Parts: sequence; C-alpha cells; structure tokens
Amino acid sequence: MKITVWGQELSAWVARAQLASYGNTVYLATSETEPVASQLRSEPGLLSALQLAQFNERLIVDEQLALTAEVHWFSMSPDDADYALELVKTIAQTISGPLLIVNQSNFGVGMCDLMQAQLGSELQQVVYLPDLLQAGQAMQQFVTPEALLIGTDSSTAKASLLALLRPFHLGQRTIQQMTCREAEFVKYAITGLLALRLGYINEMAGLCDQLNLDMDAIRRGMSTDKRIGTHYLQPGCGFGGLQFTQYLQGLAELLTGRRGSVLIDTVLAQNEVNKEWPFRTLWQHYNCELENRRIAIWGAAFKAGVADIDNAPALRVIDALLAQGAEVCVHDPEAMQALAERYPKTQKFSLATSAYDACKQANALLLLTDWPEYGSPDFPRLKRSMQQALIIDGRNLYDPHRVQQEGFVYYTRGRNCLSHPASLSEQTETA
Amino acid sequence: MSPAWNKLLASADRLRGVHLRDLLQTKDRFESLSFSAAHLMLDLSRQRVDSQVFNELIALAEERDLRAAIKSLLNGQIVNPTENRPALHSALRMPQESSLVVEGVDLVSGVHETLVQMEKFVEKIHAGQWRGYTGRAISQVVNIGVGGSDLGPLMTCEALNEFRPPEAEGVDIHFVSSMDGSQLSNLLLELNPETTLFVLSSKSFGTLDTLANASTAIDWLMERSGLSRKQLLRQHFIGVTSAPDKAISWGISEHNILRFWDWTGGRYSLWSGIGLPIALTTGMQGFKELLAGAHAMDRHFAEAPYEQNLPVLLALLGIWNINFQDIHAHAILPYDGRLAHLPAYLEQLEMESNGKSVKLDGELVQTRTCPILWGEIGPNAQHAFYQLLHQGTERVMSDFIVPARRYEGRSTGLIEQHQLALANCLAQARVLALGDAALSDAEQRPAWQRYAGNQPSSVILLETLTPASLGSLIAMYEHKVYIQAVIWGINPFDQWGVELGKKVANDLIDSLRQQSCEGYDQATSGLLARIQKLQQEN
Repeated sequence: MKITVWGQELSAWVARAQLASYGNTVYLATSETEPVASQLRSEPGLLSALQLAQFNERLIVDEQLALTAEVHWFSMSPDDADYALELVKTIAQTISGPLLIVNQSNFGVGMCDLMQAQLGSELQQVVYLPDLLQAGQAMQQFVTPEALLIGTDSSTAKASLLALLRPFHLGQRTIQQMTCREAEFVKYAITGLLALRLGYINEMAGLCDQLNLDMDAIRRGMSTDKRIGTHYLQPGCGFGGLQFTQYLQGLAELLTGRRGSVLIDTVLAQNEVNKEWPFRTLWQHYNCELENRRIAIWGAAFKAGVADIDNAPALRVIDALLAQGAEVCVHDPEAMQALAERYPKTQKFSLATSAYDACKQANALLLLTDWPEYGSPDFPRLKRSMQQALIIDGRNLYDPHRVQQEGFVYYTRGRNCLSHPASLSEQTETA
Repeated sequence: MSPAWNKLLASADRLRGVHLRDLLQTKDRFESLSFSAAHLMLDLSRQRVDSQVFNELIALAEERDLRAAIKSLLNGQIVNPTENRPALHSALRMPQESSLVVEGVDLVSGVHETLVQMEKFVEKIHAGQWRGYTGRAISQVVNIGVGGSDLGPLMTCEALNEFRPPEAEGVDIHFVSSMDGSQLSNLLLELNPETTLFVLSSKSFGTLDTLANASTAIDWLMERSGLSRKQLLRQHFIGVTSAPDKAISWGISEHNILRFWDWTGGRYSLWSGIGLPIALTTGMQGFKELLAGAHAMDRHFAEAPYEQNLPVLLALLGIWNINFQDIHAHAILPYDGRLAHLPAYLEQLEMESNGKSVKLDGELVQTRTCPILWGEIGPNAQHAFYQLLHQGTERVMSDFIVPARRYEGRSTGLIEQHQLALANCLAQARVLALGDAALSDAEQRPAWQRYAGNQPSSVILLETLTPASLGSLIAMYEHKVYIQAVIWGINPFDQWGVELGKKVANDLIDSLRQQSCEGYDQATSGLLARIQKLQQEN
C-alpha cells in the first residue's frame, strides 16, 4: 500500500519505519528522512530501520506524491491541530476515490469528527488509533501490539485499517472497536490512572519516611492483592516525559473545565513537588547551604531507555541546584545532547563522559534515572573519588544495608528507616 | 500678611456671595481650568475660583518663589532641617543614566544598586528558587511594617494586582502592621512555615510595632521547624531598612538586606526597597514603570510653569480652600475599587507631613494648615457619608479620582459596571457643585429635598490605571504636600508629634508588667488599676 505519514512524533517515525519494513511504500512530505530530535534518534532500532527503508526505496520523499496516497497517517504534535485540519482539506481536494485517514495525534476529543467533516464521500473515512507506544520499546510494540483499539463508526474503515495492520495482529490480537470520540479519550483515561497510581505510591513513600516504615515491604504487601498487581508501584522522584505530561495536562483541563475537579491538577502539582525530593533532601542534609558544593547527578532522562529529558525530575533538580550556587556535574548514557542544548554555556554546570568522572570530588551523588549501568557501581571507587560519601537515590536502586556498609550516607525514597541518616550525616560531615 | 495673600483675602470677600453654579456659567471654564501631564488630567473647574483668583494664586506662587523651593527639594538641599537632611524620594525614581550629586556623592548609582539587588530577590522568588528550610519554594510573602512601610506598598499592591505577570502568580503577598498582632495571629493559622518568607520593613529597624510582629513570626518558625533562629533567619527573613547594622545585629543575614537611605522619609519610601512587595506583585518591569511614571511627574513638577503645573495647582487650590474659604475637611473619593487603600495612604502622606503648627523659624503658624483628610471608595461612600457632603453643615472639599478606561478586553457586564461608576462620579461632582441647580423642579420640593451645593471638588482623570499612571498620581500628591508646606512655612518631612506617645507607652508597659499604677494623672491611674484588676480576675 501507499501510505503518507505526517508529523514528527515518535509514533510517526515508528510507523514510517515499520510500515515500510513490512512492504508498504511510505511517503514523506518533508526533506528529512530521519528524526532530528536526539531523543527520537536514540529510540532503539528506529534509525537503522529508517535507513534500510530508504535504501530499499520504500521511504520516499515527495511533496506531490505524498498528497496522493490512499492512506494518510497523522501522528502530529498537539500544537498542529489547525494545520492538520487544513491538510485534511487539501488531501480531500486531491483525492476523489477511497481514502483512509488514521489519526494518532493528541488533538483532544472531537477532532476526528471535525476532520471527517472535511471529507467528501462515504468512501473517505477518519479512524482514530490511540498512540499506545512507550518510548524505548516503541519499535517492538508497534509490530506486536497487545491489543488494537480502533475508533470508528464505519465497518469499511475498520476493515481497511485491519487490512493495513494485518501483519501486526494476524487476526490473533484483541480488537476493541469504539467511536472516534471514545478512542480519542482512551489514552487520557489510561494516562490519568497511571499518574494517579504513581502519585499515590509516591505519597505513600513520603508517609513511610515520616512513620519510619520500609516502603518496599509495604509495596510487596500491596502487590499480593490481585486487584492491585505489581505495575507502577515503584516509588521515585516523580514522573515526566513530553507525551505523558501532555495527555495529563489535557485531562486536567477537561476535568477542571467540565467538572470543576482538581484531581489530576493535584497529582500534577504534587508530582512537581516530588521531583524536587532529591534537592530537598540534599538541602536539609547540608543545612540550607549548597553554594559551591559539587553535586554529581546520575541520570537525566525521564526514564531509563530514552534520551528524552522533557519534564524530567533532573531538570527541576539541576535548576534548583544552580539557583543555590552549587556546581553540578551530570552523567546520562543517552541524554547528553539534550542536556547540552538545555544548558548552553551555563556556569557551574558540566557534563561528564563517564559516571565515575561525574562524581570526582563530589559532595553528593544524586541518582535520578534508573539506567541499568548505575545498578551495581564500584562503591569503594566511588567513595574514594567523592569528597563526601553521600548518595541520594531518587529511584530506590540500591540495598540500603549494602550501601551503608560501603560507608555511604544513603537517602532513598520511602526507606529512610533503614538508613538512619540523622546519626550518619554527622560522621560524613566531619570525615 | 504678604501682598499676594492680602489680594486673595480681598478676592475671598468679593466671591463670598457667588455660588459655584454661577462660576460654572463662565465661558470656556473647563478648558481654562483643566490641565494634563504625565498620564493625568486635573480638572479644577469646580473649584470656587475665577480667573482673577487663579492669577492671584499664581502670584502667591511667585511671591513665595516656589521655583527655588522645588529646586531645593529635587537637588537635595536640606529641606528637613529638624532632622538635618534632604528629602530625596524623587532621586529614587531617577533613570539609571542620570546622576544627582549631593555632597559629592552620586545618589543615583546607589539607588540603582539597590534596584539590582531587589531584582535578584524578585527573580529568585518568582522563579520558585527562594527556598525555605525544608527546600520547598517560598509561596507566601508577609510584609511586616507599619506606617510608610505598610500603607504605600499595601495601597500599590492592591491597586496593581491585575498587573501580575504569570511568574508572580505563585506568590501571595500579605501585610501585617498592627502592634497587637491581630493580623499576624490570623495569618499564622493559615500559613505553612516551610514556604513563608517575612519581609521586615523598618526604616530605623527600631519600630516597636514591627519588631514585636517579627519576634512573633520567628518564634512561630522556630516552634514549627525545631530549627535554630539563625538558620531560619537566613532563609525566611529579608530586611528592608536604612539601618543595615541594626538589622544585622537583630539577626537578618547580610545577604538579605535591601538598604535605603535616611534621606527617604518613611511615608515617601514606597519607591525604595520598601516597594519590594510591589515588585513581587507587578514584577520588576511593573515596578520600573511605576518609578518611570513618578519620574515623569517629577520632571513636570520641575519644568512646567506654575499655570500648568499639576502639583503646584493642586496645592494652590488647597491653600485657597483652607485659608480663604475656611474649609478644613478633605474627602478622597476614588471611583475605582482598586484604589481602596488610597485614602488611608493619603491620610498619612498629608496629615503626617503637614499636620504641623510650628514654622521652620520656630514661630507658631498664624494660618490654618493641613485639613482633616478621610475617604473611601466613592460609590461605597455614597451609601455612607455623602449625606453630610450634600446636606450637612460642614464645608468639605473633595478629590474625585477615576480612570476613563477600565476592563479592556473583559466582559461587557464589567465594562458596564465601570460606566456606572463613571456616571456616579460625574453626578456627585456635579451635584456637589450645583446643588438644586442640577434639578429642574427644585422650587417645588420640600426643604429636606433641597441641595445647597457650592461644595468644591477636583477631578483627577487617569487614562487607565497602570503602574505608570499610579506612580504619576502618587508623585503629584507628594509634591502638592511639599508646596503647601512651603507656603505655610512648615517642615513636611519630620513627625515629632508621634514621638511623645511612644515614650509614654514605654513607661506604661513597665507599669502594666509591674502591676503598678502610681505616678500618672487620675485618668491613667484609674484605668491602669481597672485593667490590672480585670486581668487578675481571669
């Protein structure tokens, strides 16, 4: 099939790569055949698949041909809603026969209906396919979706879409059909619940610290209840990511605007407070004096496996540290370019090429992203290179007993009862 | 009495039987008696003057050489001899590129150093990077100050609240002034100590009222945090003062001080570091516009001829009303709810400045000086004390203050509400002047429905209320007060009248603590004994 994919979102590039590698001809209206943004370029498997598709001439740049395809795939940024409507109009003027528009963009509820209104005949249909890809595993998830959610009232449109996606479901996956508006809303509802879960567990972790309880024990206890399960129960220093936040903000606006409910607003606001937990812990540890202290940060990406730092806790922590006059040295396996762009020519800010380099002469190490390579560091080496053996772990990566045996003062979310920092901090201060 | 003064006395006689409604018949009266400068229009056509009086008032200005007096003020001469210093509030709003050398020191560079420091504080707080003791961002700022350290910032913050830039929205500003802790005690029930910053504003850093509130605030922080006074002071207190040494010895961190100078009088200090709450409300940009608006008025005051000089004319018409019309009550009537605190602000500015009866030469004044000022949001006052203005036995002069445009881009309902306020403002000024003449059927009405009119008023029309126009408005009143003081020969920049009470209160606090009531007059001793008895009963 001939398919034009519009947009620069992760889902747009993954669709281009995978639709082409399964034999379709994919048109592009822009001159770039690869994503520009560093966080997209680092998506595992994406660049090589795009390059192969171009080599095989299944990824074709042609502004004119792009308008003529029988399938148009929209994975655009929420800001491009007006452009998307214009584009649908142009496509409808170009094509008189059958036309399928697959919309994956976060344009809010009701946008598909507006797009449909631009089209002419019954043979031209808009379907909504919620973008359920997760950065870091998007290529795999596209070809082996757990289920397909399809938003359309038209059985012919549904059949066309299933035909297009046949290699990825082979008639064996769960398929859920709903109206366009419902499908447009599903991702908001999913994102909202995930955020509530994360917000809840982070609140529990904070409370455990106040009550002198081990959050890990509580978490294990909770997950024995089948209704709760094990996912999204790990406390940490807040969630981030561009798309996750966009959906949440959209949902928060809907909830406040339509229902006067501040449920998601509260989760979002509390998450911002949560993101600064490592900073606050450090601030209190050093009695509100951080000027010229050297602070190492491990991990800036909003989660392991991606290079995306949008709304990442690390940004709030770095900003807070710089505002207090601390020296900040950051390491991240993937997000270095994004960090360099975010903090150009910034005083007291540097990037380290290795995790250990970041910690040289540091007064503290803050762990903000749970990259696998941070999982089992050489603690004695770390201790030797740091000025103060202090680790503030925003991701609960280490065993508190082990880290303390290695001679570190260790703060972690929800498990401070195991690390007795009050008595230990005095020792390191004078050490 | 001087020749110019005597002419005015004669004119007062000449006009005694002339009603304002007749004066308002004069051709081109509005054009010849309304004046514009620096975002403001001043309409004096409802003052009880004719062109002869106007010229005689200008002659009085010339006779008293106001030009020289204005120069002395703006150039930093000692215009406050009882405290041996200049009064240079106008220097606080001079642009960065200008200079004002007084006794060999350029004051403008120091002023702008403080502005830079202020900007650092404002930006840090607005960025959410001023942190409390737990590391949470400061979101509540409490200004502790009294008199000039309270009224000016409070009035301006209220007036300019809608000019908050987005970054200011996360910060709430509160004002605490009363010695008895009334405001503070309520506030402390709501505030979170982790996110609260106190701004301690005191020119002398010795004001009892302010230090008592500050002491309660620091006790609250210590109790709630369990931390030391020193640590809390560093993160939770800013001091604004002309006595930095005293602030530091009280415990304010030297990095947290905004200083101003003893040549800034307390009631003239909102332009200095005392304006920090204003800058936190409007952002630095808004604060600089406020300063620029005031500076525009300063330039106008320095340069415009008397006949067009807004502060000079406002002052001269006040002199006419007080000294030649025997009017000793002055109502301040803003027709814009945002200016709710303007009357209280002007009460201090005028009455603390010119409520004097001793001249610069030490002699008693032979004329009346500052009248009683009071006021209220006009439309509300219409339901309160306007009855007295219209049908009472007191002569009252009024200032109506109103913007022409408001609620631009807002709902038609709100725009209509402003039209309603404007209509009422114009109606009241008209009726006060004309009385029955505003009616067509006055003759047929009973006596209690008749209106004498003939009450003079000025209308101060702002294009819109902005930081710049407000700055200009306040500066106009400041200079008006100075001009009146020059004409009366008094010092508007000291306030010795408030000292004795403070001193006696110090004795009385000891008596209350020691439960003694000896050594006072009968009334004081009697009340002391009674209070002590009531306190023991509990």
